[in-house]
Amino acid sequence: MQDKLIVIVNDMCKDNGLPPLKRLDADQHLRDDLNMDSLMLAELTVRVESEFGVDIFEDGLVETMGDVIRKIEGHQGP
Amino acid sequence: MKWIIVTGESRGVGKAIAREILMEGTYGVIGISRSKGAEVEDLKQLGGEHFVHLTYDLENVEGIKSLYLQQLKRLGVIHGFVNNSAWAYDDIISNLRVDPLEKMFRINVLSPMHLTKYVIRDMLLNKTEGSIVHISSISAHTGYKGLSMYASTKGAIEAFSKNTAREWGARGIRSNCVIPGFMNTAMSASLTDEQKERIYRRNAMKKETAMASVVRTVLFLLSDQSSSITGTGIHVDNGTI
Ligand SMILES: NC(=O)c1ccc[n+]([C@@H]2O[C@H](COP(=O)([O-])OP(=O)(O)OC[C@H]3O[C@@H](n4cnc5c(N)ncnc54)[C@H](OP(=O)(O)O)[C@@H]3O)[C@@H](O)[C@H]2O)c1
Repeated sequence: MQDKLIVIVNDMCKDNGLPPLKRLDADQHLRDDLNMDSLMLAELTVRVESEFGVDIFEDGLVETMGDVIRKIEGHQGP
Repeated sequence: MKWIIVTGESRGVGKAIAREILMEGTYGVIGISRSKGAEVEDLKQLGGEHFVHLTYDLENVEGIKSLYLQQLKRLGVIHGFVNNSAWAYDDIISNLRVDPLEKMFRINVLSPMHLTKYVIRDMLLNKTEGSIVHISSISAHTGYKGLSMYASTKGAIEAFSKNTAREWGARGIRSNCVIPGFMNTAMSASLTDEQKERIYRRNAMKKETAMASVVRTVLFLLSDQSSSITGTGIHVDNGTI
């Protein structure tokens, strides 16, 4: 799952002129560390929803990569 | 197939827009209205595989998410959205009743906003530089007795469109309104000839708005010919000034 997620994130980084990530880290803050703005977060939402079937921003706050991973895992089950 | 969603394609302006898009042949049309399909059989004949009708009541705002995920998304990439469906609750303000008012806001404002949400999500996912066109009304700009409540739904949509344009312009997504004057359709059927005459006297050309002119303006705003136009409205109203 994390392999697919990093492809999605790096695709978006490329489109937005940001450096690609070498690895995903649960502590990475989407806005402060990855420099994502609200439009990029919207794009991340639709890409994650299309790949994993979960809308990560539908309920509650999502601030870090760890939050994103937990939402996807929570949706997929253990 | 590249799709354009047209709500209210079962009659009037929406049907004429759907027909014109199908005649041009660049895009397919997904029509959304309550009609069961018989009303749009001629569009099916004309468009064949380029036309899909979805029976849906836009009073149901909550169902839009599954309408998108279960039906619209599966058809293919959305390139445009024409928010044309509308329902009019006309009365003077002192008679205002909350139930029809709420129903009108669900159909004319809340559902179109929700559809826009999923259209934009689809455009983001597919990197589509799409076009959104809302059909407003001259009543949002010129006052008419009995139309204040209906006009307020159109004012809401115009403000929504302008801000949509600002928010998503950087992704190449455009949003505009077409603002028709009075046309002879089912929506204005309850007016008497005298009332119609009085309305027509208020515009520079002293007549009803030609539906074909409204339709061509919508097609222009959907097309690349209008690639630098966003966040605005085009009045097609015989000069109601
Ligand atoms: N006629 C005028 O003078 C005039 C002037 C200015 C602006 N406009 C605007 O032009 C647009 C088209 O109007 P028109 O004159 O063509 O009106 P119309 O002939 O009454 O058609 C309205 C369309 O909206 C659809 N609709 C209504 N309620 C709906 C619902 N609950 N769910 C889904 N679809 C619904 C209808 O389909 P179903 O009944 O099959 O659901 C129909 O296709 C509207 O936005 C209107 O406000 C009209």
